[in-house]
Amino acid sequence: MAETETELVRRCLEGDNSAFAGILEAYQDRIYSFALRLLKDPVAAEEASQEAFVKAFRGLSSYNSAYHFSSWLFRIAHNACMDALRAGNKTVSLDTEDFPDLPDRSAGVEAKVEDSITSERIEAMLAALPPLYSEVLLLAYKENMGSSEIALVLGAPEGTVKARLFRARELMKVKLYREAGATF
Amino acid sequence: MKPDKTNELIASAIAALPYRRPSAGFSARVMAELAAGAPQAWYAGILKIAGLTLTAWVSALAFVSARVAYANLGEIAALAIQPGGFSRALTFMAARSALLLSKLAAAASFASEMLSAASAWLPAWYEIGFAVLVCSAAIAALSKSARPVRQGI
Repeated sequence: MAETETELVRRCLEGDNSAFAGILEAYQDRIYSFALRLLKDPVAAEEASQEAFVKAFRGLSSYNSAYHFSSWLFRIAHNACMDALRAGNKTVSLDTEDFPDLPDRSAGVEAKVEDSITSERIEAMLAALPPLYSEVLLLAYKENMGSSEIALVLGAPEGTVKARLFRARELMKVKLYREAGATF
Repeated sequence: MKPDKTNELIASAIAALPYRRPSAGFSARVMAELAAGAPQAWYAGILKIAGLTLTAWVSALAFVSARVAYANLGEIAALAIQPGGFSRALTFMAARSALLLSKLAAAASFASEMLSAASAWLPAWYEIGFAVLVCSAAIAALSKSARPVRQGI
């Protein structure tokens, strides 16, 4: 796939615009899903995805092949989503977020938590997280990116990415334990 | 269940989330927008140069105006602190401005005559002035309608 992707990018750079259709086909679901889970609105997600692909096409000459093409494309998508969130007056700040401690866990509660982790629950919990946390989780686990690659996508230091990932997991765990009836 | 186990479960649950598909025609819309093409680089360049030229003219005008005010600051202040001095200061400024304008008009007329003498085909100064006004209006209109391309990557 990497070979094909490189070839498609090369053809685009040589002026063959039709080659971009291949890139679009390969990435449209991934980029749209990422945008949808951050923006929580199908129309806004399509607009952000479209903007990301158009910007990627027009800025293809600035792509550095030393990095993964997916990282570069996700960086553009991340920027488009952040712009959309700001345009919708939705905060992307972390200032107001509190980080409660994990509750005490009994064996019974832990078993309940394990049973309650389903795709639907996880999807709902991701939607309830602030976008800056849900996106690190999505990039790390859904897109299988390492913290250095996520740092490239977000344009943030790697330490920040690791801290966000840790806090995002903690928030998910708190929600899971709360639902399972754990006491704080 | 250990916290690490919970982390693993969260990770695998997120990894198992399905990808969503955009609505039908999404690819076609993107490809159509790409085919429509980006604004040409030369077009943006011309707008930029025109904008800079206009800015330079406005700056020069502001500088000349400020210079007149600064040169007469002492006299204006002296007039302004007297009873009824404010209106006198305004009158004074208007007189100075009128004098400057007449000098500018004389200078422009002189330059026009010189240029006319140098090249008979050059239009009259008021025609050039009119053309400048029309061009400025066109540039302003184009600048408002043109959306700058920002990559931001």
